[in-house]
Amino acid sequence: MESRILKPTLAIYVALFILFLYGPFVVLTIISFQQGPEGGPQFPIIEWSTYWYRHIFGLTPPSRIAPLPFGEALLRSLVLALMTMVVSTVLGVMSAQAFRRKFKGSGVVFYLIVLGMMVPGVLTGLGTSLLANNVIGIERHWYTTAFATHVAYTFPFAFLVMLAILNRFDASVEEAAWSLGVDPWTTFRKVTFPLIFPGVLSAMLFAFTLSLDEFPRTLFASGRDQTLPLAIYGTFSVEIHPNIFAFGVLTTLFSFALLSVYGILMAMSVRRAKKMAMQEDIA
Amino acid sequence: MTSQTTIQKRQATTTRWLLLPGIIWMSLFLVVPILMIVYVSFWTQTTFNISPDPTLASWKQFFSSDTYTGSLWTTIRIWLIVLACTFIVGYPTALFVGLFVKSQTLSTVLLVICVIPFWTSFLIRVLAWRPMLGKEGAINIVLMKLGIIQQPIEVLLFTELSVIIGMTQIYCVFMVGPIAFMLSRIDRNIIEAARDLGAGFGRIFWKIIFPLSLPGVVVGAIFVSVMVLGEFATSGALSGRKVNLLGNIIVTQVGSLKWAMASVVGVILTVVMGIVIAGFLRIVDLKREL
Repeated sequence: MESRILKPTLAIYVALFILFLYGPFVVLTIISFQQGPEGGPQFPIIEWSTYWYRHIFGLTPPSRIAPLPFGEALLRSLVLALMTMVVSTVLGVMSAQAFRRKFKGSGVVFYLIVLGMMVPGVLTGLGTSLLANNVIGIERHWYTTAFATHVAYTFPFAFLVMLAILNRFDASVEEAAWSLGVDPWTTFRKVTFPLIFPGVLSAMLFAFTLSLDEFPRTLFASGRDQTLPLAIYGTFSVEIHPNIFAFGVLTTLFSFALLSVYGILMAMSVRRAKKMAMQEDIA
Repeated sequence: MTSQTTIQKRQATTTRWLLLPGIIWMSLFLVVPILMIVYVSFWTQTTFNISPDPTLASWKQFFSSDTYTGSLWTTIRIWLIVLACTFIVGYPTALFVGLFVKSQTLSTVLLVICVIPFWTSFLIRVLAWRPMLGKEGAINIVLMKLGIIQQPIEVLLFTELSVIIGMTQIYCVFMVGPIAFMLSRIDRNIIEAARDLGAGFGRIFWKIIFPLSLPGVVVGAIFVSVMVLGEFATSGALSGRKVNLLGNIIVTQVGSLKWAMASVVGVILTVVMGIVIAGFLRIVDLKREL
């Protein structure tokens, strides 16, 4: 291959690509340190300050700019993401487990599940709110209708992750357990589940983060009380201040903390799996 | 001793019970809502109310209004442009990450770097393009400092261009991931063999690399299409209400409680999506590629 020209060219291209991906975030971070409360969300930086970070936590003297109404919204979003994570992962593991055996209509069921990630959020959101609001006539809430749409969205991701894991799963360990007379449920709990645990963690991470940031479905289906993305959307219509950017930086840091927890749990489960494999070798 | 048939029967029952909750959930909260959109699109809409008397009024209104049909064409145009942009921007990156990087660690690191921006809230990422593209934005400042332009470029923000730039940046990673994955699965021996037989890189690329990466391109294209066709936040925030996609129409119609009209637009969006996805799935069997 013309590696001498092609590879360096592509390497430079990838560097530019990464710049393109990170450009807005870099600008966002810079502007979050804008002077307050007069400084607006644009260049130039009048003076570097942490005003807008203190503003989020209500540590600044009161000014004409109201603090972001994000406290309760954040709490709701976290609870919703946790609920969604649990239900989606359970459904995902169950369905993927069922798909290990061939059965009639598996194609239809596969596409029914995958449909959840293919239908745009505007449509699921609209349909669910029509169903609740106009046809059945119940009130919409973030923990009922919005929750239902969140699971319908994240369950396919959990399902696909688990399907990929179980496709590579060695069934002979399960058969060994069955032949020793262990019932299927105990086999699943003691043999299968520990082995697929890294996949379960990934499915949980997917479901949690997708739900936490989910916006179009929630916009229609959540009713009166806002979740975090809705609260952020609410600030779009009024004047934007750098505090929203400071908030963006903080949530990103929070996400990294979450990602680290996932990384640590993953490393621990991989190490445990290795240890078990070694014990098997000895025995 | 249990016979073979009873074991099979018991396994079939287990399969059914494992699938049932998922099927019920998806039917109730995905299929029924979509059917609802179709149903309500034929309801009678009055100023403050909506009743289930069947009528075609909303449909007629959609196709007789330039605003509504215009939004359909805008949606299709923006979708095609963004799809092309994400492919052009994403493919070389995927080529480097999936094929040219020899070390597994480096390619994983590069992919993680691509995914990190997703940990910022979607809406804040959209918003971050404003100080980037504005008249006194980062791009204009940099270009003026470099002496490339004398006057700030004003068409960057609150135009169709800003929507396209924003969407390309937000969605291009969905193109990179699947393509890089398919490229990394290519057996290097095939490429070696082709080279030994005297094929140049261009020939190797068009005859081997590109066809083998096609399933990745299709999966990426499906991801991008689904998200772009259903978009309304990016177009709303970056176009200054100048670009109205089908999604924007739905949001404004629901906002003014015009459920029937919102449903009509919803049905049209569903049909467009269906055609697009079915078209892509004809190229590649998604289930076999997993």
